[in-house]
Amino acid sequence: MKNKKFSRLTATWMAASLALLCSAAANADETCMSPYMAKIVGQEDFVYVWTLGVEGLGDEQDKLVTIDVRPDADTYGQVVNALSVGGRNEAHHSGLTDDRRFLWASGLDTSKIFIFDVHSDPGKPKLVRTIDDFVEKSGGVVGPHTNYALPGRMMLTGLSNSADHGGRTALVEYTNAGDYVTTHWMPTDDNLQGAVKSGNFADGYGYDVRVLPRRNVMITSSFTGWNNYMMNLGTLMADAEAMQRFGNTVVVWNLHTRKPQKIFDVPGSPLELRCAWGPHNNYCFTSTALTSKIWLIYEDDAGEWQAKAVADIGDASLIPLPVDISISADDQQLWVNTWNDGKTRLFDISDPHAPVQVMEEKIGAQINMVSQSWDGERVYYTSSLLANWDKVEAAEGEDLQYFKAYNWKDGALEHTFTVDFLAAKLGTPHQMRFGAYSLYGQ
Amino acid sequence: MRSLSLLLLATLPVVAASQQQPHHKPAAQPQVLAPGYSALEFPAPAPGTYDLPPLGKAANGALLDSTGAAVSLHDLYDGKTIVLSFIYTSCPDVNGCPLASFVLGQVQKRLEKDELTASQVRLVSVSFDPANDSPDIMADYGKHFRRGDIDWRFLTAESETSLSPILDNYDQAVIRDRGPDGKALSTMSHILRVYLIDADKRIRNIYSPSYLHPDILYADIRTVMQGDES
Repeated sequence: MKNKKFSRLTATWMAASLALLCSAAANADETCMSPYMAKIVGQEDFVYVWTLGVEGLGDEQDKLVTIDVRPDADTYGQVVNALSVGGRNEAHHSGLTDDRRFLWASGLDTSKIFIFDVHSDPGKPKLVRTIDDFVEKSGGVVGPHTNYALPGRMMLTGLSNSADHGGRTALVEYTNAGDYVTTHWMPTDDNLQGAVKSGNFADGYGYDVRVLPRRNVMITSSFTGWNNYMMNLGTLMADAEAMQRFGNTVVVWNLHTRKPQKIFDVPGSPLELRCAWGPHNNYCFTSTALTSKIWLIYEDDAGEWQAKAVADIGDASLIPLPVDISISADDQQLWVNTWNDGKTRLFDISDPHAPVQVMEEKIGAQINMVSQSWDGERVYYTSSLLANWDKVEAAEGEDLQYFKAYNWKDGALEHTFTVDFLAAKLGTPHQMRFGAYSLYGQ
Repeated sequence: MRSLSLLLLATLPVVAASQQQPHHKPAAQPQVLAPGYSALEFPAPAPGTYDLPPLGKAANGALLDSTGAAVSLHDLYDGKTIVLSFIYTSCPDVNGCPLASFVLGQVQKRLEKDELTASQVRLVSVSFDPANDSPDIMADYGKHFRRGDIDWRFLTAESETSLSPILDNYDQAVIRDRGPDGKALSTMSHILRVYLIDADKRIRNIYSPSYLHPDILYADIRTVMQGDES
C-alpha cells in the first residue's frame, strides 16, 4: 500500500475541493465520475469490469470481473474475482452511487439492474439486489444505460421503450437503495415539454447523462433503440431504414426541476458526454458515432447554451466509429477511442473550441471504453461494444476481447499488462469503474 | 476544531467573493468553497413550479436533545416540514458539516422574515459523533447558529450503538478516521447529506455539497409546503 494516498467518504462537492483542510483527504480519481461522488486520489486498487457473457465461453453469464491494479500486490494484473449474475442481459454500463458503496450495472436487453456492494470487501464485490421490474416501474422505459450518481439517488438513462422498442425513451430516477422514484421522458416533437427546439430534431432518444451543478445544468445525448442495438451490425448497416433511426440530438435540462430547456441538433448519434472539471469551464464534450466528430456543448458569454462541431475524428468516410471519450482532470486533453479501427486518439483541448489530435495508437482489433486515473498517469481500455456488433475475429497479433492497462508517461502509452478475456473464458469486457480500500477506511 | 470551523465561517464571504472569475478558464484550478457559501449562480427555481417526488419514508430513531432529554425523530417530524442535517461539531472540512450549518443558518434568516413558513418548519441538526458531542456540546454549538424563535434543534445520541441504525436508515456513511498507528482520530469521513422531509415524514430531497444552497433549499421547502396545502 506504499505510495498510495486515497480519499475517504469525505464531503466532496467537486474534484479539487478538499485540499484546503483535509490533508489526509483527496482530490479525485477517474475523470468521468459524477461531481457529487466521493473521490479516489492516486493509485486505484481495483478495476471493476462489467462483462458480457458469451454463449459457449466459460459459464456464459454476464459477470462483474475484478482486476487487481495495485502495482505492489502479489496479484497485480490478475483477475481476483468474477461474480456471475445468472444469464445474459446485454451487460453494458455501470456506475457508482454518490457514496461509492454500491455499483449499479445494467443490461440493455433484459433491462435488469444489478446492485453490487463494493465497500464491504472492495476486492470481492457482492450482489445485493437485482431490479427486474425496471420497465414496469418506469412506465415503459427499456434498456437502462448510464447509472449516474446524484445526491442520495441514481439517475438512469434509457435507450428504448416497450411500446415499439424504438429510440424514444426517458430518464429514470431511483433511490440509492434501489427503489423507483420517477420517470422523465425525453422531449419530442409531439411534446416539447416547454423546451426550445433549436434545430430540426426533437427525436426523444437517449444515451448518456452528465451534470454541471454550478450551472444547474443536466445534459443528455442520444443513440438508438432496442430494435437496432440488438440487431447484427452487418444487417443493421445494410438496412437503410433502420440506419435512419439513430439519435440526432443533445438536450440541455434544468438540473433542479428536471425540465428540458433546449434541444440541439447533433447529427450522427452523440454518445458519451464528458464535462469539464474546471470551476469556470462551463462546457461538455460528446462524440458522434456515425459522423465522427467531436462536439462542444457550451455556455456562451451571454449565458446561452450552444452546441457546435469542433473537430473531426479520423476519416469519417472510413467509419472509424468513435465510442468512449475521457477528459483529463485539468481539462487539457481528451482521449477518444474509435471502435472500428481499434485506435485510441488523444486530442489537445486546451482551446475547447478547436481540439487538435496529438497522437493515435492502435490498441486492439477493436476498442471501446477508456478510463484514466485522476492524475492521468494510468489509462485502461476494454474492447466490447455490443454483443451483436462486436467483431468475431482479429488479425494476426491483434487482441480481440481484452482489458489493457497502460502508463501515460512523457507523451507515450507504456503497456503494463493485458487480461485476455476470451482466453480466461470470462466473456467480453465493457464498462470499467475503480475501487479502493481506503475509500472505506480499510 | 470547532473554533477553527467558526473562524472559517466568519471569513467565508471574502473568500467566496474572490472565486468569481470569467467563464472558459483554460485549466482546472482548485476550488475552495462549495457553492452554498456564495450567491447562487443561476436563478433559483420558483416554488411550486416543479415536482419533488418522494424518496421514501424518513426513518424514526431515538436521540437526545440539547438538554439530555430523550426525543424521537418522528415526534419532532410530526406535522412539520423538516430540514435534517447530520454533522459533528469538530468537523474540520469547510465544505462538510460547517457548510450544512451555514446553509441552515441562511435558511433561518429567511424564515425570520416569513413567519407563516417559519411556523411550519423545523431545522434539525444531529451529531454522528456521540462520543464527543454531548448534549452540552450540542447546546453550545447551537448557540452559535440559532437565532430568535426559529425552531432549530441540536441533537445527539446516547451512544454510537443507538445511533448506528439511524445512520443506516438514512444511508449516511460515516467512518472514524484513524492515524498511521491505527488509533482513532477526532475526525470522521463522511458524505455530507442534508434531507428535506415533508409533513407526512417522506424524504423529498437530499442535498450534498455541490448542490446545497440556501436559495435552493428555501425554494424546495416552499414547494413541499405548497404541495401539502394543495
